[in-house]
Formats: sequence, C-alpha cells, structure tokens
Amino acid sequence: MTASGAASLEVAAMSKRFGANIALADVDMRVPAGTLHALLGENGAGKSTLVKCIIGSYRADQGDILFDGREVAINGPRAARALGLGMVYQHFTLVGGMTVAENMVMARPKIPTIVNWRAERRALEDFMARMPFRVPLDRRVATLAAGEKQKVEILKLLYLGCRFLILDEPTAVLTPTEADEVLRFLRDLVEAHKLTVLMITHKFREVTAYADAVTVLRRGRLAGAGAVRDLTPAAMAAMMVGTMPAATRTDRNTAPSQETRLKIEALAAIRDDGVAALDGVSLSVRAGEIVGIAGVSGNGQRELVEVLAGQRRAVAGEIRIDGQPFRFTRAEIRRYGVRCLPEEPLANAGVARMTVAENLALRDFDVPPFAARGIWLDRAAMRAAAMLRIEDYNVRPPDPDLRLGALSGGNVQRAILARELTGEVRVLIVANPCFGLDFTATAEIRARLMAARNRGVAILLVSEDLDEIQELADRILVMAGGRIAYESSAAEVDLAAIGMAMAAH
Amino acid sequence: MTSLTLVLGVQPGMRGRWLGRIAEAWALPLLALTVALLAFGAFLAACGVNPLAAAALIWRGAFGTWFSWQNTLQKASPLLLTGLAMALPARVGLMVIGGEGALVIGGLACAVIGPTLAGLAGSAGGALLAQALMLAGGMAAGALWLMIPGALRFWRGVNETISSLLLNTIAIAVMNQLVEGVLRDPLSLNKPSTVPLAPGLMLGQIPGLSVHVGLAFGLVLCVAAGVLMQRTSFGFAASVNGGNPRAAQMVGIDVGRLILIACALAGASAGLAGAVEVAAVQGSATASLAAGYGYSGILVAFLARHNPFAIIPVALLLGGIAASDGLLQRHLDLPDATVAVLQGFVFIAVLAAETFSGRLRLRCRLWLPLPLSLRGEPRDG
Amino acid sequence: MADLGAAGVALALFGGAIRASTPFLFVSLGECLTELSGRINLGLEGTLVCGAMSAYGAALLSGSPWLGVLAAALVGALLGALHAGLCSLKRVNDIAVGIALMVLGTGLAFFFGKPLIQPRAPMLPALHVCPTCQFAPLRAALDINPLFLIGVALAFVLRWGLANTRPGLVLRTVGDSSEAARAMGYAPLWVRLWATMAGGALAGIGGAFLSLYYPGSWNEGLSSGQGLIAVALVIFARWRPLACLFASLLFGAAGALGPALQSIGVHQGTYLFNAAPYALTLAIMIASASRRGTRVSAPGELGAMH
Repeated sequence: MTASGAASLEVAAMSKRFGANIALADVDMRVPAGTLHALLGENGAGKSTLVKCIIGSYRADQGDILFDGREVAINGPRAARALGLGMVYQHFTLVGGMTVAENMVMARPKIPTIVNWRAERRALEDFMARMPFRVPLDRRVATLAAGEKQKVEILKLLYLGCRFLILDEPTAVLTPTEADEVLRFLRDLVEAHKLTVLMITHKFREVTAYADAVTVLRRGRLAGAGAVRDLTPAAMAAMMVGTMPAATRTDRNTAPSQETRLKIEALAAIRDDGVAALDGVSLSVRAGEIVGIAGVSGNGQRELVEVLAGQRRAVAGEIRIDGQPFRFTRAEIRRYGVRCLPEEPLANAGVARMTVAENLALRDFDVPPFAARGIWLDRAAMRAAAMLRIEDYNVRPPDPDLRLGALSGGNVQRAILARELTGEVRVLIVANPCFGLDFTATAEIRARLMAARNRGVAILLVSEDLDEIQELADRILVMAGGRIAYESSAAEVDLAAIGMAMAAH
Repeated sequence: MTSLTLVLGVQPGMRGRWLGRIAEAWALPLLALTVALLAFGAFLAACGVNPLAAAALIWRGAFGTWFSWQNTLQKASPLLLTGLAMALPARVGLMVIGGEGALVIGGLACAVIGPTLAGLAGSAGGALLAQALMLAGGMAAGALWLMIPGALRFWRGVNETISSLLLNTIAIAVMNQLVEGVLRDPLSLNKPSTVPLAPGLMLGQIPGLSVHVGLAFGLVLCVAAGVLMQRTSFGFAASVNGGNPRAAQMVGIDVGRLILIACALAGASAGLAGAVEVAAVQGSATASLAAGYGYSGILVAFLARHNPFAIIPVALLLGGIAASDGLLQRHLDLPDATVAVLQGFVFIAVLAAETFSGRLRLRCRLWLPLPLSLRGEPRDG
Repeated sequence: MADLGAAGVALALFGGAIRASTPFLFVSLGECLTELSGRINLGLEGTLVCGAMSAYGAALLSGSPWLGVLAAALVGALLGALHAGLCSLKRVNDIAVGIALMVLGTGLAFFFGKPLIQPRAPMLPALHVCPTCQFAPLRAALDINPLFLIGVALAFVLRWGLANTRPGLVLRTVGDSSEAARAMGYAPLWVRLWATMAGGALAGIGGAFLSLYYPGSWNEGLSSGQGLIAVALVIFARWRPLACLFASLLFGAAGALGPALQSIGVHQGTYLFNAAPYALTLAIMIASASRRGTRVSAPGELGAMH
C-alpha cells in the first residue's frame, strides 16, 4: 500500500435497478478525506445498495466512483480492500472457532505457509497498543460479546491498512456505551486524518454527535445532503420520510370495537446469536382494528413476528388472546382463530416441496371436510377447496398440483394469504405483506386486509413501508431497539415524530 | 438445460397428472438403477467375468425358479421391517440409523419373554397368545429403544444419526453381554445363546410357501405405514415437518409428539424384525442376531426414497440380489461380496441421482405409436 | 499369567491398549481433519476395510509391508475423493453418501480380497524397545508397532499444523464458516476435497495396521467397527488432535481390558467394557447439548450435525 492516511470518495450519478425495482437513481455523494459521513434513509431507501455498489458486491448500471480523486473500477470486496477501502457489515464475517489473533492474520491477503506467531503477535500487540480499545487476542471469537466482535471487525480492517471505512449500522448490536466507545474511536482517527468513515445509520443521536456531514436517500434518490451543523434532526427526519401528506387512507366503514382481542405484555426474546431482540414489548389490538408497527428493520420486528407465529420462544412476557393465555397449540390456534402471514412466506409459512393444494390445507388438514373423523385425508376435497381459493385469490398458474416452490414469489404470497384469510379468522399477524409485489398485487392484498379488518379481525401489521402503514392502520406504533417507542392513532399521527422515534435510540 | 420427457399414453386431466407424477417419482430411481447395473456390468467385465452371464445368474437366483423366489422372499422379510425403521423417521425429517440396535433389542426381548411362556406351548390358543406376547414384547422394546434418539434430538438437540449409531453399538454389546452371561443357556456350549423357545412357540410358515410369517408381517406393516403416511392426517403432519419445520411450528403441529410416534413405530418395526429372527429362524438369541439387517434397511429406505409402499419392491429387489449370491459363487466363482458391491453401486447411483430431482425436468420425446385417443398432452411444468 | 496378578494385567493392558488404539488413532485423526473442514464422513468403515485389503495385497505382491501401507493410503485417498465428489453435488445427503460408501468399500474389499485369505503376507515389524529385557511380559508389552509411533507423531504434527500453518488455518476457516472462507477467497469445496482425501488416506492406514500387524491377516471379520466409531471418537475429543490420541488410547484400553482381565481369569463384563467408551461419548453429547445453546467448539459448518 503506497498511499496512507485518510482517503476521499466521490460517487457520481450512480444508478442500479433490479428488474423492475429501481434501487438507486442518479445518486451523487461526496465524502472528503478525513471526515465522518452519515448515510441516512428508511428501509428500501437504497443505502445498502449504494454501499454495495461502491464496494463492488454489485455492479452499478451507471455511475462513477472516484477514490482519492482517481476514477476506479472496483470489482469486489477484495479488490476494494487492496485499494484501502473496507466495509464492516451488519452480520459478522469473523470465524467463530478461531481466536482474535488468528482472525486478524487470516484477513490478510497473503499469509505465509508457516505462520511465525511470535512475529505476528508482536506486530498485533504493537498495533493494538495504538488503539484505544483492547480486545483480548487469545479469546475465541465465538465467546466474545457482540460489541467486542464489532470492534474486532473494525480493527481487522484497520490492521489491513484501510483508509476509507464503510460501516453498515455499526451500532445496531451495541449497547449505548459500546456504541459511544466505537464512534469516539472512529472520530479520533478521522480527526487525526488517518481514516475517512462513511456510516449507514438511522440514529440521529449518532449523526449529530459524531458526523461531519450527512447524505439522505429516499426511495433510491438523493433526498438531501449537507453539513450536520446546518441541519436539525427534524429537517433530517423530514428528508427521510418526506413531507408530503399521508397517502390516501382506504375507506373504513366501521370503527374498531372496544374488545381487546390480542394483548402482548412485556415480551422479551433473544436472537439466535444471543443478542436481545425484544426488550419488553407491550401492545394490544382490538377486534376490527389494524395496528401498524413501523420501524427500521432490525429493531426486533422479525423476532416479534416469530414469537407470535410460534417459531421462537419468548424468554419473558405474556401473550393473551381474548383475555386467555395463548400457548400456540394447534387447538388454541383453531379456537382463537390466529393466523399469520410472515415475511418470506416460502421459507416460513409453506412447504416448498408440497403442492399448492396441500399447502392451502395446512390449517385444517386434520378436521372434516379434509379429514374424515380427523384421520382419513380427503385429497379430492382438499383439491376442490384449493381450486376455489386459487381462483378467488388469483394464484397463477392455477394448478393445485404444482409444488409451491415452483410458483413465483408474488403467487406464493397470494397462496399463503388465501390460506390464512380463509375460515374463521379472528387475529391476524402480517409482516411486510407487499414486499416485492407489483402494483396490482399490492392493491389486492391491501384491499383484502381492509376487508378483513372491516369484518372484525384484529390485525397486527408489521411493515417497513411507512406509506403502507399510514394507508391501512388505525393506530400506529413505532418499534425501535426492541421496544415500542411511539404510539398514536392514525388520525393524529405526526410524521416528524415518527421519523424521530424510528431514529432515536 | 437439457431435459427428457416421457410422453405417457394417458388421458390429460387429473388421472393423467397423477400417473405422470408417479412416473416422475419412479423415473429417477429407475434411471439410477439402470446406470448402476451398467456400471456393475462394466466392473465385472473389467474383472474378467461375463456380465451377461452374471445377470442371467442373478435373475435365476432371484426370480428364476419357485425355489429362488422363496429364497428371495426369505431374504426380503427382515428388509421390509428394517427399511421402515429408517424410512419413517426420515419422513419426519430425522436421519435415524438405529435399526440394527432396535432389532437386536427386540430380538433379545422376545428371547427373554419366550421361555417364560413355555407352559403355554401345549394348547393352540395358548401358543398363539404366547407368540403374540413375544412379538409384542419385541416391538415394545424396539420402540422404546428408538425413541431415545428422537427424544434426544427434540429436547436436547443431540444429532440423531450419531446418537443412534452409538446406541447400535451399545445395544449389540448389551446383547452379547447378556447372551453370554446372565441369560446364557447352560446347554449352549459352542455358541452361546439364550434358552431356546419351545418348538410349539416358534412361528410357523405362510401356508403354501416355505417362508416364515415374518414376510406377512413385513408386507402388512409396509402397507399400513404407507397408508398412514399418505392417507392420514398424521402422515400429512409428518410431511409438513419433514418439508419445513418452521411451517409446522407456525400451524401448531405438535412436533415432539410427531417425532416420538415416528421413532416408536420405526423401532417397533425393527424390534419386530428381531423378534421374528428369534421366533421364526433361530429359536433363541445369539450373537448372530446382529447380522447387518439394520444397516441393509438403510439402503432399502433410501432406494425407496422413504416411501413405505416402495419399500416392498425395493426389499424384493435387494433380497433377490442377496439370494443369488449362492449361484454367483458356485457358477462364476465370484465371492459373496459381489452382491455388496452391486448394492454399493446402486446406492451411490440413486444418491447421485437425487441431485437431479425436481431440477432437471425429465422430458424426452419418446415417440410411441399410440392411438390418438390415448396420446395425452405432454406434462408441462 | 495368573500368578502375576495386577502387574500382569497392567502390562497386558498397556501393550493391548497401544495395539488396539492404533487403528482408532489413524481413523480418528483422519475423520478429525474431514470434520474440521465442515463435512462428516460416515464411510470410513468401508475405507478402513478397503485399506486393510489393499495393504495386505500390496504387501503380498511386493514383499514389503511398507508398500502395503502406502497402497492403503492411496486407496483410502481415492475413496475419500469419491465421498467428497458425491457430497459436492447439490441436494445429496452427506450421511447417506457415507453409508453408501461403507457398503461399497466393504463390498469391494471382500470382493477383491477373496484370494488374499490364505496366503501370508509380510507383516510390519515391531519395534523392540527393550529386547534384552528379562521379564517376558514387560518385553512383550514394550514391543510397540511403528504405526503407533507414527500416529502419535502425526497427532502432534496436526495440532501444530492446525494452528501454525496456512493450510491448517484455511481448513479451520472453511469448516467454521464457508461464507467467511469464500469472502477471503478460498474455495470450500476444494478444501473439503483435500481434507476428505487426507482423512480417507489415514483411515486406510488404520486398516493397514489391522491386516499387517494385529490381528495380522486378512479375513472378513477383521474390523470391529473402528471406522464407524471414529466419528464418535472425534466428538469425544472435541475435534482436537491430541485429544484424539488420548481418546484412542482410552477406547483401545477399553477394548484391551477384556482380554487382559480374561488372562487372570476374570471373564465378566468384557462386552460392557468395550461399550463403555461409546456410552461415555453419548453421555458427553447429551451433556454438552442444549436446545438453544450455541456449541462453541464444534466446527460451525457441521451445522445441524452438532
């Protein structure tokens, strides 16, 4: 590496589309050397796509990258690292079974056949001595806390001589103290002109405390940029969520009833890697009401849906339906009419290798008419019922004997929706129902949800699309950091406040 | 993407689809079987043996004469049951290879219960009762044994393949220990065995065949298991969990119960095989109870793609191959390991073919001169 | 021997343990390498038997037992390559492949080994540590087979290599996280191929021991399941080469305990002694498992395995 010290980065007119989905359109961004730059935006705004195009994981359709003033073509993360451009991802790329020292050495592009550990350790210790935080070199990475792992990821790149560091939500898994430590450290390096940092974040606190400038994306376009000292959090929030009036709300013909159907109290859950995901979530949903949960993804929404779908065990808290404790048995699910439409329906709610007809019967294959006396399957009845639902919900191709895995994403969604909305439904949990669907399918599904609501179903809608929530929900909640951070009825909602709640922590 | 289609001469519509689906399910293993046979033929040729002669001998030894048929059926009987022992948990998503251990435990149980009921040997009704008790005891013991890996997997996350493998060794060791120790018949000098069953309690043969009733048990259980898996809500729930455990969780299927029942049925099958081995063939439990039927059952299950109905023809096939080893030895001077080599080829071919399942659509235009009314639409999709 | 009492038993146990542990040692080190790369090979039993047969045949043909060992290693590597090749196909079940290879390996071994049952092949020489020793049982106990020493050395070499060489570090990376390995530019499939071949070669050598030293002949009852049990051994040893050495000695001692006790007239419980290590492994697996816990020491890519 010939050059040293902080590097600058400039992106001009970057565009990227995935099929019909425009992820980035004509985005410009300038990050001068020796600054800490924040990249803000809602889900789907294009932040991840932008940095992936920069680092070379995606190839942009259009656009130039200037690194240190020179135009470069980066064709992958390793090429980027060779230039001095490194990225720290949201998921850890460390090898859990190896020690910190081994991970640091393995990250190097060239490793000698026989590793001289004495020399390596000396080099590592010298390097660590210059860093404000210590990570024990001989601990196995799998035993480190999330915060320590994050530090190792950063140290790894610095050890490789990184001059420009991109971080994707670096403090998402850190405690506030750890977050301050890490950001303070980065800030010091930036001010010493040793490093330039581009940080994807949605936390205003971090932006105002540590960043020099900010770029805001909205729906793949540049929504605003500027020096942090010139912008207030409210202004940033406005750029993020837009100041246009709320999307037209669908007609609702009835007001929600007074009866509380679903009640969640102090729910707590942990993710697979041990990090706390839900930290005391309490909410309630009445019959005939849609409660929308907004929020940046990664704040516990997925785990909340998993717990409600019976796919994850809560470690604390209570779920009550109709006032009774809910224990996720099939009998109780049937009695209370609990249905669920999770994200990635093929992976979570269906069996790819079974047919559409069989998948449509997943809720009632063990009761008449699909099972005589609860035991003997009547596949002809299943098939006939499936044909009706396929037709009703417009599943294409309309073949009940096709494997579910052979359908396109949108049709899988329709099929699962068909199953979940049929029969006696009283509580419905929905997550990102229109993700990846085209305009017609989206309108269909939203209409169905509204119809269900009008029929008296209690619906909990978790969505990363704020417009969707505004259109459908009677009450809007914001989830941040595993808790409910904001609550209001849809009529009285304050967009700026939502933006702030989503971003505050 | 190359593809082969088999154009079936059947009507379009539901019946045609159903037949087409069955054809698809069978095409791949049959193709694999053909490839394996060809490869084996080449192998024999490379060893200086005439493959066609070997093929003729295998055919004769397996299905050629009435005598060879009975030999085949005899060899196939335990495979029917041990194949189920692998296939049933596999349908629920568990890879349990503990058939050998459950078989041994079942045989042991039968050998223990039998002598205590010697008094019933006098009357016909008493003998029948005693036999029922012996077999039931064998099934119960096997069921309990194979529920262990299932329970360990569900409640403790212990890998069921390895735990069932370990339990096999433990079962065989326990059996050997007991047979040579506490349960040893003082009259068995050369080869240690348990007290032999009274002759009146031994299981008889199927009338008309010189094959013991174990064959009938195997056939009945395979059919029953097939009906259970394909026609009942239990089997449906099993398929759901085997296909996607998360979906099973979401719809509230009681996965623990599913696993325990599947493992219990599997263990009961293997245990029955062991009990039959004692009560119909050996007369007592000896070290030769661990003859490898459990491991052969794994092969049967995979070849049948864990479909209980398909286990019947597969067991017959493997039983036939095993039955022909005598002829191969005598006429071509081939070692009896020849059938094991053939089994290995078939197993590998069928496993490798799995990579094509569902991915490469089998579509080959075979022009059959069929009357127009019978020529169906090519299956699309 | 009865008059020697405890000393006799101890010596017989010592010598027997070293003898019986040698095949376990090689097969477990081989399986350890394979599992560290993230793949489980249940077919080592077939590889072991094939190795035993090839060793015997090669020794017979060439007159040198060491060429037999080499042949066993080559045959083992080939079978390992077959395993790796099959497992690299999508949607193929690794466990089933292992069992298939077990069937094929034993079948091929007994098929080609038929003519090898009668003739006597040259055996591997024993190293007489104390040839002038007066005390006969001590002298016998100190006749150590050279493969054991090679195996011990190998265990140390592997332990060193896994921590201090690039191939070792790459192996562990691939076995822990394919994603991290690919991000670093390593190809997991190739690494697993080499690891499985090495594992097969070592298992073959383990088989060579059986046919060229103890019991020192070729017949169909040669193996007592060492290949299958090596998988359990590796778990018991938590994927550490030195622990594999210790565990092999333990398993070997358990096997040797029976005959040692019989030599002083104790005939009870031999089978249970043999089974004790397996029961112990199962107990360890249960104890270290938990429904939700993340097991720290297992190679990450073994995934649902452990």
